[in-house]
Amino acid sequence: MLVIQIIIAGLQTGLLYALMGAGFSLIFGATRVFHAAHGATFVVSGYAFVTCLKLGLPLWIGALAAMLFAVAFGLLLNALVYRPIQRDRGSFFTVFVAAFGSVIVVQSAMEFFFGREPQTVGSSMTRSVEVLPHLFVAPIFPIILVIAVISLGAVASFLRWTSVGLSLRALSDSPSLVEAFGLDPKKASNLAFGIGSALAAPPAILIAMTNGINPAAGAHVMLISLASTIVGGIGSLVGAVAGGILLGLAENGAIAVFDTQWSEAAGFVVLFAFIIIRPSGIFGARITR
Amino acid sequence: MITRRGFVVGAAAAVAAPAVIARAADAPYALGTLYPMSGLNAEFGDMYAKATSLAVEHIAEEKLIRWPIEVRSQDSQATPQGGAVGMSRLVNVDQAPYVLLGFTGVSKAAAPIGERSKTVMVNGGGVGPDLANLSPYFWNVIPLANQEISALVPYLAAQRLLKVAVVFVDDPLGQGMLAELQKRLPTIGGEVVGSYSIPPTARQFGAIAARIRDVKADAVYFAITGGGLLMQLIKQMRDNGVDQPLITYSVGNLPSLASLPEANGLVFTGQSADWSSSYPATKRFVDGWRSKHGSDPTIYAQNYYNGTRLFALLVRELERTGAGVTGEALLEQRRRGGKFDFSGGEVSFDENGLITSRIQVSRFTSGRVEVLRAGDL
Amino acid sequence: MITYFVSLALLAVIYGIAAIGLNILVGSAGIFSLAHAVFFGVGAYAAALMAIHVTPDILVCCGAAIGVTAVLSLCLAFPALRVRGEYFVVASLGLQMVAATVFNEAQGVTGGYGGLAGIPAPTIFGTFSLGTPTRLLLTSLGILLLGLGVVLAFMRHSFGRALGAIRDSEIAARAIGKNVELLKTTAVVLGCTYAGVAGALFAFDIAFINPESFTLDQSGLILTMVVLGGAGTLLGPLVGAVILTLLPALLTFLPMVPPTEIGTLQQFIYGLTMVLLMIFRPAGLVGRRSARR
Repeated sequence: MLVIQIIIAGLQTGLLYALMGAGFSLIFGATRVFHAAHGATFVVSGYAFVTCLKLGLPLWIGALAAMLFAVAFGLLLNALVYRPIQRDRGSFFTVFVAAFGSVIVVQSAMEFFFGREPQTVGSSMTRSVEVLPHLFVAPIFPIILVIAVISLGAVASFLRWTSVGLSLRALSDSPSLVEAFGLDPKKASNLAFGIGSALAAPPAILIAMTNGINPAAGAHVMLISLASTIVGGIGSLVGAVAGGILLGLAENGAIAVFDTQWSEAAGFVVLFAFIIIRPSGIFGARITR
Repeated sequence: MITRRGFVVGAAAAVAAPAVIARAADAPYALGTLYPMSGLNAEFGDMYAKATSLAVEHIAEEKLIRWPIEVRSQDSQATPQGGAVGMSRLVNVDQAPYVLLGFTGVSKAAAPIGERSKTVMVNGGGVGPDLANLSPYFWNVIPLANQEISALVPYLAAQRLLKVAVVFVDDPLGQGMLAELQKRLPTIGGEVVGSYSIPPTARQFGAIAARIRDVKADAVYFAITGGGLLMQLIKQMRDNGVDQPLITYSVGNLPSLASLPEANGLVFTGQSADWSSSYPATKRFVDGWRSKHGSDPTIYAQNYYNGTRLFALLVRELERTGAGVTGEALLEQRRRGGKFDFSGGEVSFDENGLITSRIQVSRFTSGRVEVLRAGDL
Repeated sequence: MITYFVSLALLAVIYGIAAIGLNILVGSAGIFSLAHAVFFGVGAYAAALMAIHVTPDILVCCGAAIGVTAVLSLCLAFPALRVRGEYFVVASLGLQMVAATVFNEAQGVTGGYGGLAGIPAPTIFGTFSLGTPTRLLLTSLGILLLGLGVVLAFMRHSFGRALGAIRDSEIAARAIGKNVELLKTTAVVLGCTYAGVAGALFAFDIAFINPESFTLDQSGLILTMVVLGGAGTLLGPLVGAVILTLLPALLTFLPMVPPTEIGTLQQFIYGLTMVLLMIFRPAGLVGRRSARR
């Protein structure tokens, strides 16, 4: 039973990572911007949610706020930071350092306004119930599952079936071609940032309810999301999801099998193994060297 | 992504810029403090600093010593690295012969620096068992974890809580407490049925809760440095179906925990404190604290009040003999024995620089602290 | 007050040495590593253990640091040969995170989170002590100059041009017969040993080391020093190191900031500076204005 319990814990964590990874993968795949500040979106979104609830507003307003702030922040970052850099033929290094700096700015701003302690919103939904002997599941778990499936399904359908979605996929392959067809790469990039950032809202809300949001929370989630994108295969949304789940399982599995100390590193060991053995990830295209 | 750590070396170097409190120009005594003034444990540092300044005030009012005391403070951030850098500053830049500090990791890092420079270090907050033997210059005015656990064990026996699961941070304090429990539980027929070490940055404890349930412990003991982490642990334990009694050491006595619904029933040990005592030094401390801060003091505050007071008491003797106030002289003076008039009662030190104290076992009941078992010496 | 400035300068020099090493990877070879603090730590632990258990002679300890770091840097060289660009960044990230846990867990060697305390002062030629901040600063400056000299020599040599070729286009470099594997590995090993030496000096400076000083935060800090100063330039990393070491110190002198908020403000300015600099002057402070990468 312990095994099943750990699997459920792994899935719960993994789904959150999957959503973050999917968001990052979408943005990176469409715009080729290594949006290392995606974790900052997560933090901003989480605080928006918590603040709304602390002000006494109902849950759905909090969730809406989380979504709005996430999207707004992603777009803001694109407009103020990434686009100016890219205009100047910015290199990968430049983008990365700028993203890194943005994360720090957000983290310290949140610290200043909200303090370093984790802020949480108590909810009975996080309290586990013994569904089977020795198997505890919190009501929030099926909710996470449903939200994840719906969000990812919606995004996948959008990319596959709508013309705008198609243009996003085209963008990653060939920006100039997109222009030739009369689509605006700038709009497409904003779209990618918007949708990708929106995907950060559900994990932020869920983490706020279970563990609590604190300014440094984005970092760990972001690192694992980066890892899940690589493990799953850059450019593949399905891959990012699979990667996220795999890493969530690894993190929790490590607790069961190895010393609990290794839980944090477990995900990265998996990552490292993939890089050495199969850099293209589970679903990624073969990368040219 | 960047925590305070990224700056610890630079920032601590920066803090060293001597920001001297302007006092009488003559020859004030430098008293160093190495408290966490920033970071997650700043709550403690703030408390310790208040106690220190209250003591300095009282010392001046009582005219215990000839020259005023000048407090030189450095920020330890409650981390070993912060402690090492801060101690280094106190010794080299602030030239303090006597330093008050806290937290086990900080103490272990600072001790070699203090020992080398013959600086007295007085601990009022850290409880790691190996703080007892760090250095002749390292004294403790707080009972250490082994003493706390010794006091806890009869309570465990009485409540038939024999199989204990231990969650600990893998640092000197956590390791020390685990070792102590492993040593003491067998004496009452119990054992540590599982030990789970967590990195200080851990956030998700669902899987650990699952393992604890699996191992069917009677109780869960937390050997965690710092209150914020403890809060998250307790909440997630309860959220994940761990119903067993939760026990911890004196760190549990935090107002923020008292008001956490999931922490209801948390059992913790700690020094005995009787704030209604009429012992003069105690009354003076309690009244002073109450009038300044509008609430009862905590035991940690009393320790740092006493630690500061100890400095004045020793210096008074040194002034009588005309000796210079150096770390060496202070150590010699303390070794001469005798009793010291502390808030809480008279105390004396053993050769290891430890004092004996009473430990009590308490519990949070509906947000209040309820004493379950008053301590005996 | 003088001691204060000396210790600040010493820190800047130490990080400067590490930054120069990272510049070899990032600036010259295009290997974007977020794991530099790992080797900073490895060097520190090697030197500390040598000083505590065998001898605090600075040459021996630095030698130990170089040796151990050089060998372990192959852990980074290996993924560098397999992938590049974003993939490599994440791989180095993985190495950094795993190393952080290893440092904490290998308690027999590293002392875990409690660290190694009481590192003795360094000596040279038997009994001459380099233990005072001033002497250590002079020693470190000497090592820094030596390091710069080595970099200059290497870069003027065909090694530097070959690395540049790899950075710009690996395929082309291979096509003209460059042994890419050997060159990349050499760059990684060389760059990481700089970090190792810097780590050794760090251990002597603070006389205490534990895993907190060798985390992703420090890797990011050193990387930012390089990029801020100007990757690929000779003095850029040094400029970056000086600025980023001095910045927190300067901020403490601002009168209106409450002490508990200083750290937060520092970070904020630090992050903002990074972002603005990358938008307006991406080649770094020392680099050419519109450097094409």
